[in-house]
Amino acid sequence: MTQRSFPLPVVGVGGRIDHPAAAAAFNADVARTDWHDASLWFVREKRDRAASTVPDWEALRARASAIKEHALTHLDEYLVRFEENATQNGMQVHWARDADEHNRIVHGILAAAGARKLVKSKSMLTEECGLNPYLEARGIEVVDTDLGERIVQLRGEGPSHIVMPAIHLRKEEVGATFHDKLGTPAGLADPNALAGAAREHLRQRFLAADCTLTGVNFAIAETGGFVVCTNEGNADLGMALAPIHIASMGIEKVIPRVEDLGVFLRLLARSATGQAVTAYSTHVHGPRVGQALHVVLVDNGRTRQLAREEFWRSLKCIRCGACMNTCPIYRRSGGHSYGSTVPGPIGSVLTPGLDLDRYATLPFASTLCGSCTAVCPVKIDLDTQLFRWRQRVVENGSVSLAKRVAIDGSTRVLDRPRLFRTLGKLARVGLRILPAPLARRAAGAWGRTREAPVPPSQSFRAWYRRHRGGAA
Amino acid sequence: MSASVPSARDAILAAVREARPPAVPRDESPASSALVARGGGGSRIDTFTAATIAAGADATVCSRDDVTRVVDAALAGARSVLSFSDLAPSRDCPPDGLRDLAALEVLVCDTTLGVAENGAVWIASSSDRLRAALFLAARVVIVVREEDLVDDLHAAYARIDVRAHPFGTFVAGPSKTADIEQSLVIGAHGPKALSMVVVRG
Repeated sequence: MTQRSFPLPVVGVGGRIDHPAAAAAFNADVARTDWHDASLWFVREKRDRAASTVPDWEALRARASAIKEHALTHLDEYLVRFEENATQNGMQVHWARDADEHNRIVHGILAAAGARKLVKSKSMLTEECGLNPYLEARGIEVVDTDLGERIVQLRGEGPSHIVMPAIHLRKEEVGATFHDKLGTPAGLADPNALAGAAREHLRQRFLAADCTLTGVNFAIAETGGFVVCTNEGNADLGMALAPIHIASMGIEKVIPRVEDLGVFLRLLARSATGQAVTAYSTHVHGPRVGQALHVVLVDNGRTRQLAREEFWRSLKCIRCGACMNTCPIYRRSGGHSYGSTVPGPIGSVLTPGLDLDRYATLPFASTLCGSCTAVCPVKIDLDTQLFRWRQRVVENGSVSLAKRVAIDGSTRVLDRPRLFRTLGKLARVGLRILPAPLARRAAGAWGRTREAPVPPSQSFRAWYRRHRGGAA
Repeated sequence: MSASVPSARDAILAAVREARPPAVPRDESPASSALVARGGGGSRIDTFTAATIAAGADATVCSRDDVTRVVDAALAGARSVLSFSDLAPSRDCPPDGLRDLAALEVLVCDTTLGVAENGAVWIASSSDRLRAALFLAARVVIVVREEDLVDDLHAAYARIDVRAHPFGTFVAGPSKTADIEQSLVIGAHGPKALSMVVVRG
């Protein structure tokens, strides 16, 4: 039986994701929401401290952004060079146009080798592709080995964050899940003891695996190798032991040179968790003796995003999650409310590109405060892209009736100065004479948890005329 | 496959070529001149030692004359030791199979490169046994010399040849996780402890 800490995600008419409704469901538990908010802010503060230890942090960000923009605008050349060099290094390179092709390639490799037991380290790409259910339906045992991912896998959930998959769960909930699935003592909720139990449980899976699948943080065109970063050492155990290694990567992960890694690895962990670097930054430049090493290059909508003049820079993302940790909406709505593999600001920019109608509410899951843009290690202009998606959503007719009426109404009012003045007068009077609950209701969702403002005695226009008008 | 149906490779590359935004040229100014961190005012060895401790390792700084004694002390009481260092012999190692190394208590090895800014050391090898032991051993002891320390990752990449071996990794502290309520747990899937022996001079 799948347990859920709150209802997820809310899907509206025609399979559309209803972020406001899902966020409201999350917010129903005020204490949990406050705790979630504080947990993520704690990570954001760790990031700030780590960033401040690097004297040229801003120069480093600019450098990272420039390398990625160069790489993406020459992506075909770097992909071909990577393929050439990786092949020379003894890797087998596969290409997948979409999720289904990726899954078929992975299953094909496993089936050809008669492999039944797969250990996976964290890979958001395979979440995006729905690989686990695909393989499980074909009799493959798939074990996610990142602790957070294993927790959500045992619970039948998806990750709620790209770096901390189980950030939405309390330790007591993890304890209950482990009691159920791993037989730990009832009531055990100590993180050390729970992680220890997971270690023993997963050690056996590592030792018995026929195949390991990892993600890729960076693929290097000039050397045909790739880098996998973890703290837990799970990717490394898989790679060091399994007779088959499959590395799945989005095509945007290719960087030109080894020296570029110096820039990205200095930024990645500091931005993600506030560590100077992850415990392991592993460089793979070929299989072990007797091991088969496959790399699957996946498009799945990336070339479509690359073609979008307004949005291609979102592909610079190195998946650190800093934009989520800082986002006031993410922190108070939880990753599952986005109904998207990648949640938060970057998810709300990437995912609408896959299906604008289905994900139409995501670009609105933002205050446009720009905090995401300020922390992004590769300088993606996230708030600008969110704003642009809103315009596309409205053009596409994918906004709700209420929002459309509000937007059209505002346009009409702002176009007519006299109407604007009259309505202003009405509002000032209304705020004064209406009972508070009624005034708050007039403010829409904003008024639900906030007091209405104290109305000024006059409009700014009237005030200006009195004080400055004579001089003008 | 029939000739009229393009392969996934050709289809993706064609789509990339079609989509390619206007070319952004590469900035060829050396990254290290503009970006190298030399903060803190501390010596490189102090910065490294503090960073490796921050990464969860324990560290002992010693002289060349003392290093054998310090490594011995780090191995005291260990039942099984697999050594890739001249400073200590192996003893009571598990048999040859990689999976048997799950029973290994301590791995000892040397590194040729340490990074002051983050406390990481570079371990690269073509030995499957070293690679597996680095993650299966309960405890890892690594010896690094002061002369092999560099300031930051830019300097580190200028020194290493990532293609020299199929496997190379920067190791910063023991394995760890904070996936349950952000509580740091040392010893996730890999070693539960890392001892760094830093040789001065």
